[in-house]
Formats: sequence, structure tokens, C-alpha cells
Amino acid sequence: MTEAAIVSTEHLSKWYGQVIGLNDVTLSVAGGVTGLLGPNGAGKSTLLKLITGQLKPSKGAVRVLGEPVWGNPAIYLRMGVCPEQDAFYDRMTGLEWLAALLRLQGYGEREAVAAGVAALEQVDLQEAANKRIGAYSKGMRQRVKLAQSIAHSPDLLILDEPLSGMDPLARRKTIRLLRTWAASGKNVIVSSHVLHEIEALTSNILLMHNGRVLAEGNVHQIRDLIDEHPHTVCIRSRHPRELARELVAHDDLLSLRFEDGAVYVQTARPDVFYARLTGMAAADPTGDIYEVTSPDDNLQAVFDYLVKS
Amino acid sequence: MSADSTPRRPLSFLTATLRIFDIAVGQLLWSRRTVFMALAAGGPVVLALVLRALDASGVSALRVNGARVGGPVMFGGMIWLLYLRFVVPVLGAFYGTALVSDEVDDRTITYLFTRPIARGSIVVGKYLAYLACTVLVVLPSVMAAYVLLTPIGGGSIAETFPLLLADLGLLALGLAVYGAVFALIGASVPRPLVVSLILVFGWEQLALVVPGYLRQFTVAYYLQSLVPHAMPHDETMTAIQSLFSEPPSAPSSIFSLCLILVVALGFAAHALQTREYVLEQ
Repeated sequence: MTEAAIVSTEHLSKWYGQVIGLNDVTLSVAGGVTGLLGPNGAGKSTLLKLITGQLKPSKGAVRVLGEPVWGNPAIYLRMGVCPEQDAFYDRMTGLEWLAALLRLQGYGEREAVAAGVAALEQVDLQEAANKRIGAYSKGMRQRVKLAQSIAHSPDLLILDEPLSGMDPLARRKTIRLLRTWAASGKNVIVSSHVLHEIEALTSNILLMHNGRVLAEGNVHQIRDLIDEHPHTVCIRSRHPRELARELVAHDDLLSLRFEDGAVYVQTARPDVFYARLTGMAAADPTGDIYEVTSPDDNLQAVFDYLVKS
Repeated sequence: MSADSTPRRPLSFLTATLRIFDIAVGQLLWSRRTVFMALAAGGPVVLALVLRALDASGVSALRVNGARVGGPVMFGGMIWLLYLRFVVPVLGAFYGTALVSDEVDDRTITYLFTRPIARGSIVVGKYLAYLACTVLVVLPSVMAAYVLLTPIGGGSIAETFPLLLADLGLLALGLAVYGAVFALIGASVPRPLVVSLILVFGWEQLALVVPGYLRQFTVAYYLQSLVPHAMPHDETMTAIQSLFSEPPSAPSSIFSLCLILVVALGFAAHALQTREYVLEQ
């Protein structure tokens, strides 16, 4: 383990009964932004839960900011966690929820409200601060979840699929927020199954597959491989047919279908496609596009290819 | 808030407990179980209303061995059989088990587990919220039943008022002890509600009628020895009373109940502190 490591693990393993969640992982994560990339079931969430002290290692050890994490609540003064699950106290307003959690961080009543308001502003939710979380859209729920993780200004931010379900503008804003956060000397570990999300945040990645770390290093090394595979994007819009009409006008689109009220597109050039989608969303102030997700099978195809080769 | 004013020390156990209490009170009052709590606490009041209405209309509602049963005796029976044997343990089971398991099932426990607080403070804070909520709902229901029933057959509220105070204390203690026991079950086992209901309607009922020392391993044994009311002299009632022919003394019962409460809550806090909760995705 290196001295400067933000997170380090030694022969870290986690079993859920007979199922292996993480298999003998030894790694050292340096400061800055690190992306954890892998398809569904790769072990990303298990690794993040071990790093955040939600799970106890079956074998091996994990240290975060130089300290052991399991049974060490003081570590959460310096760590912010944005979990994957869409779970909230739905009857609370966004601000009430943040203030309540900040009070558990040690903030006084007024300071908690002030820090809560500031965090909601950072994720562009100030107008929904006094609205019940139960009435939030999926994207708003993602953002309020992010707000609770940054509100106490932690040194290390751990985000499990933070961009999932956000609309293109919120996605862009969140990426910008996380970049600014990292530029101020703080550290971020972010997981995703979408390379382009990670790529927008950092070039530093950990590739995971079947509970193991396949590779550590620069995202550009696997970039070309990814581009060889078609990428599926699910877009929810108030006017899906008009959106589809706009999208088919471009030659990077391989296929398009409607399913459960959403538009599913396959593109050969995800970078170009995402840039155009964000542009379309920005040009339409009515917020026609309200949710963008990327199914897990994109990366699975690439990993299958990598493992076979 | 700037990073400089960010707290850099974890909260003490007591402060964390009180802050969890703040969050949990609202959660409990708005939980799915609130309707059940209202029914459990409101049922005896409705029954008391019916009995009072029957009395007012000249119909003698309840007779034992041909003799008309007075209001204070009816109230005593209600405390013994309805509140102590049903309302208190069932509320304890429904709420006590939910303290931790609801957060785990809803997957919101992550937000509490990733705060700089001792995990044990989560269960203690929630337990105190449970106690506050149930006491605030059950005790007024008891008082309402008392006011409705006592005047039947010429009972005096002034004379029996000390008994009411004893009843209120007894039920609050019952809610506290059952809540702690079920909080432990909720923090320790899967499907805690099923286990708790088996404990209430299986183990406690069985152990109380089996001769020997088994009854000492029930909460009901100690609670019922503190009931200040005499039961009506009916054969069935007398048989029930005979089960407690050698009840422990009041101080011994109170000590035992307090011991059960502290040990159960301590183990519940320990379970939360050390147990790993794997949330369903």
C-alpha cells in the first residue's frame, strides 16, 4: 500500500454465501478522480460498499484515507457517500432530509439548514428544496442524493452510478460540479457501467469484471475497443416521436425503437451522439428530454470481448 | 458552509441518539403502521363506548355468576386482558421490529450508516421515538376507556384514580420492555415480525400456563404481577388468576423488567454495531 493512496486494499474478497462478490483485489487508488468501470455484476458496488464500510470484508483489508473503515464512524466526517439505490425518506422535503443528515454529521440546526441550502444550490435543486422527495422526478432524486453526499464538504466522495437517470443538462452540470470538486483538491471515486460518463470525468480508471480488477490505468487504452461496439441509449422524453425524428436525421445512428414509452437508440459513435443529445436538451428549455440511461449490455459486450481475447 | 467550519469530531452517543430520535419520530408517525396503531389503541375506546352506551340504555352489559360487573372491574379486565395481553405486546412487535428492519427493507439505512455516529445510537434513538409515539397514543386511549367505564355501576373516578396512575405506569413499562425485546429481534433476525408474533402469541401464552419456572422467561409474567386490579370471581377468571398464585413481588418484577429492557436494548445496539446488512438491489 502506498502512503499517498486514498483507498488501498489488500487481497480483499467478499462472498455472499456461495457467491463471490469480490475476488482477491489488491489495489491502490491515488488522489483525484478515479472511475470504476464494469458491467452489471462486475463487483463495482461490492467494492464501493467495502470502501464505504457498509460491508465487512470476508478476507483481506481495506483502508480509506489511511484508516480502516469498518467500525470506524469517524471516517464519515471526511467521506461522502452517494449510494446506487433509489431510496429516500419520501415524506421529507429535500431540505429537511439534508438538514437532518447534516445534523448527524455534527452540524448545529442553523448550520445544517445553511449547508443543506448550499448543497441543493450546487445540484440545481434550490427551487425544489421545500418539495417532498416523494414528488421528485428520477433525475431530481439522483441530484438530491448527490447533494447529501457533498453537503458536508468531504475530502473523499464515493459515488455509485451517480448520473443514472439524470437528464442531459443535469448530467452535464453534475459532471462539471464533480470536476470542480476534484480541481479543489478533493478526491472522487465514481462507478459507472457507461464509459462515456467516466471518460467525461477522468482518464483514470479501474476496470472490473467478475469480481476482479482487470486493469488499472488510462481510459484511452480501452477507448478504441469500446468504440468498435454499438452503444445503446434509452431516452425518455415528453415527445418521443418528435425526438426520434430529430435523431434519425444523423448517420451515427444504427437503430431506433420505442419501448415502454422510451426511445432506445443504438449508436456507433457514442461521444458524438451524447454531445448532440446534450445540445438538443440545452436548446429546448421546456425540458422535453427528462431521463437518459444506458443499459448494462453496452459494456458487457466489450468485456466479453476483452476476456475472450 | 465553508470547509473550515465543517465539524471534525463525531457526535457523542447521547447527541447522536437525540438527533436520530428527531428524525425517527416523524418517520414513525407517518409510517405504514400508523393506521394499525390507531386501530389498536382506538379499539378498546370503542369497546368502552359501547359498554357505556349499553349501560346508559339500561342494558346490563356484563354479568359474572349472575352478578352485574361494575365499571372499575370492567376497566381492570380490559387492562389485564386487552391492553396487557394484546395491545402492548402487539404494538411492541409491530413497531419494535420495524425500527431497524424498515430502514433495511427500504434501503435507507445506508444514509445513517455512513454518518459519523455510533451505529448503536441509531437503534437507541429510534427506540426512544417508538416509546414516545406509542406512549402518547396508548395512554390517552387508556384514560379515555377509564373515564368511560368507571362510572358504570356507580364507580368513583376519584377513588380509583390512583389505580389508573398505576395502570398507566405499568403499560408504559410494558411498551418499553416489549419495544426493547422486539428491537433486538428486529436488529438480529430476518423476518422479525413473524418471529415476534410467534413470541407473543406462542411462547408467552404457552410458558405462562406451563407449571414451573418457564414463565420467568416471559415479559408477561412480570407485567401481570404488577396489575393492580383484582379479577372478577368467575371460574375461568379464577383459573387464570391461579396461574399467578405465586407472583413475584412488585420490586422484583420492576427490577426484572428493567433488566430485560437494558439487556435487550444493549444487545440490539451491539447487533447493529457489529452486524453486516446486505441490502437487496
